[in-house]
Amino acid sequence: MNMWIFLPVLLPAVAGITLLAASFRGHLAGKADGESTQARRTLHTFTAAVLVLTAVLALLAAWSGEHEVTLFYLMEDIPVYFHIDAVGRLFVTVVSIVWLCVGFYSFTYMEHEGEEKRFFGFFLLVYAVLIALDFSGNLVTMYLFYELMTLCSMPLVLHNGSREAIMAALKYLFYSMCGAYLGLFGIFCLYHYCDTLAFTAGGTLNNAAASGHTGLLLVAVFAMLIGFGAKAGMFPLHAWLPAAHPVAPSPASAALSGIIVKSGVLAVIRVVFYIAGPDLIRGTWVQTVWMTLTLITIFMGSLLAFREPVFKKRLAYSTVSQVSYILFGLSVLQPEAMGGALLHVVFHAFIKCALFLTAGVFIFKYGKTRVEELDGIGKRLPKTLWCYTFASLALIGIPPTSGFISKWHLAEGALAAPVGIFRYLGPVVLLISALLTAGYLLPVTVRGFLPGRDWQTEHRAETIPEKEPVGMLVPLLVLAALAVLLGLFPNPVISYVTDLAATLL
Amino acid sequence: MDPIILAVAVLLPVFGGALIPLLPFRSRRQMLIYIEAVVLLNTVLVLTALLNRPADGFVLFHLNGKLSISFQLDGLGTVFAAIVSLLWPLATLYAFEYMTHEGHEKYFFMFYTITYGITLGIAFAEDIVTMYCFYEMLTLVTLPLILHTLSREAILAGRTYLYYSLGGAAFAFIGMIFILNYGSTADFTPGGVLMLAKVGDSQDLLLLIYVLCFLGFSVKAAMFPFGGWLPKAGVAPTPVTALLHAVAVVKAGAFTLMRITYYSFGVSFLRGTWAQTVVMVFVLITIVYGCSRALKETHLKRRLAYSTMSNLSYILFGVVLMSPLGLTGALCHMIFHAVMKICSFFCAGAVIYKSGRNYIHELDGMGRKMPKVFGAFTVSAFALMGVPGLCGFISKWNLAKAAVENPHPLAIFGVAALLISALLTAIYMLTIVVRAFFPGKDFDYHTLDGITDPTWKMLLPLGIFVVLMVLFGLHSAPIVSALSKLAAAAV
Repeated sequence: MNMWIFLPVLLPAVAGITLLAASFRGHLAGKADGESTQARRTLHTFTAAVLVLTAVLALLAAWSGEHEVTLFYLMEDIPVYFHIDAVGRLFVTVVSIVWLCVGFYSFTYMEHEGEEKRFFGFFLLVYAVLIALDFSGNLVTMYLFYELMTLCSMPLVLHNGSREAIMAALKYLFYSMCGAYLGLFGIFCLYHYCDTLAFTAGGTLNNAAASGHTGLLLVAVFAMLIGFGAKAGMFPLHAWLPAAHPVAPSPASAALSGIIVKSGVLAVIRVVFYIAGPDLIRGTWVQTVWMTLTLITIFMGSLLAFREPVFKKRLAYSTVSQVSYILFGLSVLQPEAMGGALLHVVFHAFIKCALFLTAGVFIFKYGKTRVEELDGIGKRLPKTLWCYTFASLALIGIPPTSGFISKWHLAEGALAAPVGIFRYLGPVVLLISALLTAGYLLPVTVRGFLPGRDWQTEHRAETIPEKEPVGMLVPLLVLAALAVLLGLFPNPVISYVTDLAATLL
Repeated sequence: MDPIILAVAVLLPVFGGALIPLLPFRSRRQMLIYIEAVVLLNTVLVLTALLNRPADGFVLFHLNGKLSISFQLDGLGTVFAAIVSLLWPLATLYAFEYMTHEGHEKYFFMFYTITYGITLGIAFAEDIVTMYCFYEMLTLVTLPLILHTLSREAILAGRTYLYYSLGGAAFAFIGMIFILNYGSTADFTPGGVLMLAKVGDSQDLLLLIYVLCFLGFSVKAAMFPFGGWLPKAGVAPTPVTALLHAVAVVKAGAFTLMRITYYSFGVSFLRGTWAQTVVMVFVLITIVYGCSRALKETHLKRRLAYSTMSNLSYILFGVVLMSPLGLTGALCHMIFHAVMKICSFFCAGAVIYKSGRNYIHELDGMGRKMPKVFGAFTVSAFALMGVPGLCGFISKWNLAKAAVENPHPLAIFGVAALLISALLTAIYMLTIVVRAFFPGKDFDYHTLDGITDPTWKMLLPLGIFVVLMVLFGLHSAPIVSALSKLAAAAV
């Protein structure tokens, strides 16, 4: 029996619910928010143990072969079904690495946010849900965990309880729901025209049943692209992202921007390559519109990031843009571009996480949220800013960092794909966006390290290196190192995604 | 089993209820025990009848040569009777605690219990005449329940309810006459009773009559534009709004529509005609209209009432698809919506009972003071939105499945309407949940001092509903397959 592969879902779920219950009981008893150091340490030990154990179990389950488990039948012909395949394996690995880094980072960071039990409770719950989402073996199971992911991650956004945060959380919730229901519309339609909703490479469309209904099916797939694209921040349902990511506590923003948006990507991959099949949309208006939307999003996201003065909001716009690189790679329906997209899933997760965690350090140490306040920050926090710089270089795509590899594949794939004008348009937009990326990320480095002589004379006290919190620096170092090293030694990842893309296209 | 049991089940609560003001109870407690005993006994009777379904009908009396008041129990009636009989004892239990702050309990419980019998009368009706009679009686016995507080608002609401219902019944009456004239029998027969030879050229006339009859009966099912009475009737005590205006009365409306569509006019006569298109347009408009109004509404119970309006039209959407799958989805939603909506209404009632707060903006921070109630409310909100794993998803799935395979060109718009409505549901339900649990960091919890969860009488029904929502959501195959068998037999 393979039931044990369900353990990495169960364990953090139970632990998370326990923490939430404890937090709620504490409130009922009327205890103050500030916890004693002892209690905090216990909480952190518990969370760390659960995180590590879950990550080990999840990776073990993912890399020990193609497991499948049918839990029970939700409806007569629809089981809750888990199947670990190559895509899920890739995603679950990325999720686990990021979750470990962010988790350990939070132990230090969350001290000044308060309500730690609630935070870690939902943090673990989301981890459980994400693992289940990555392991899902059919569309309905995936949809189930997709909805749960929205509901469980929403409290992370409104964590600080300000009016702005609550409004942003509701915006997040309603955009996600809107997207999910668009997706559900597609599921309803595909259910009727597909042999099965279980994920099968190449799709499960029943050509006999579908013939004559191509119009409806294309609308259905398009609805799903827009709907699941909402989570990935694709235009036109992207507006929640720059609202929600910045107000969340920094670790939560990192998790949201690095991972949760990728769930939208995963859903899109599942729909296009495992259910509907790429042949259905190849050369149709759906592909054209999809490519157009992703390119618009790439350009728009970068431009908005370029103009944005609030640091975390700038990073959020950057996510909007970068995740659409991935979607663009998928939309051209070409193996190499798809490989590039999958690479970018991995790399962007680490990079964007590192960037948000840096932003978190600035907030934690000095409460600085705006870019112009960051002048000279490199004098005080050199190691942190170096991490930021390397991650930035990777995101811009400067060789030999990881971002270069993924963008190279994306551009190569686009050029090789028979997609008309988009062959050239795609790489051009990528290039412009890379320039903009440099334009919105590097000034922080430049001004941070080289604030100018006038600034130095005015702020003499702020030029001395200070102690950088180790608990936050180490996860940051790990992520930044991954962002660079995966560019230097990319071959294992490249061959993995190339094989994967070859089975799908 | 002897079919007389059906008549007993209808008459026992009627007489048992009528006796309440006459019996010399020595204490309130005695009265409550008596009421619960009557209700429980009747539920046991109904369940026995459902499990050993009597094969024949039972004629209570003859009105004149052809017409009679008679009962029988078929699959469709079983579903409705099961919902009603299982929810009634729980709602009564809840009312025991709730009604302490409303007063005039004797009369309240008298009409409340009588309504039980009348509703069963609709479920058990063997022919359209019987159903029509009980339908009218239902209006009359529930009127005092709406008037209960005797405030100006309540009286106006009662008047609106009366006008709408009687007006609708008039249209329904026309339909009944035509069925008696053009049908081979007044009895409900799967596939319909129209004699096509006799219909001849007047097909369009009959379709028109069907539309009129549908609109007439749809008053109770709160279809746009005839649903105006439902939100107004929210002034009634919560046990009434919860059980009658979310389950018994409004579902009686949906049930009568199933009867006339599938058992009197017959779907083979109606399917693909302009009449189907017309009623479907009404239904689709209601689905979206109800939700949009719910979104705008700031009064908690009225918001739920608008939500009911929209959800009832989910059921009607299944009905007007006029296919076995459509009826399956409709019946499925009839059961599941009953559980979800009664749960959310009971939560609203518990809040009103404990804190006297009626408006949504007053609910800030209540989740921490009434965790069990708001926990149940959250589950029902998720279920209504159609989060998978809870029962709302199952019925949505079945309705959408029916719509996608339906040849009617409007059917696919039904799926779109369902999902728009689901999104609006998410918005109007979750804003309440978020308010209650996350009032913001500056919120002063001392303003809520003294508010707590109610006692077990209110919590027990809530607990049962939560369990049911999860259970139906995770394991629906037996119910759905039973319903689809039943629906296949009806078409």
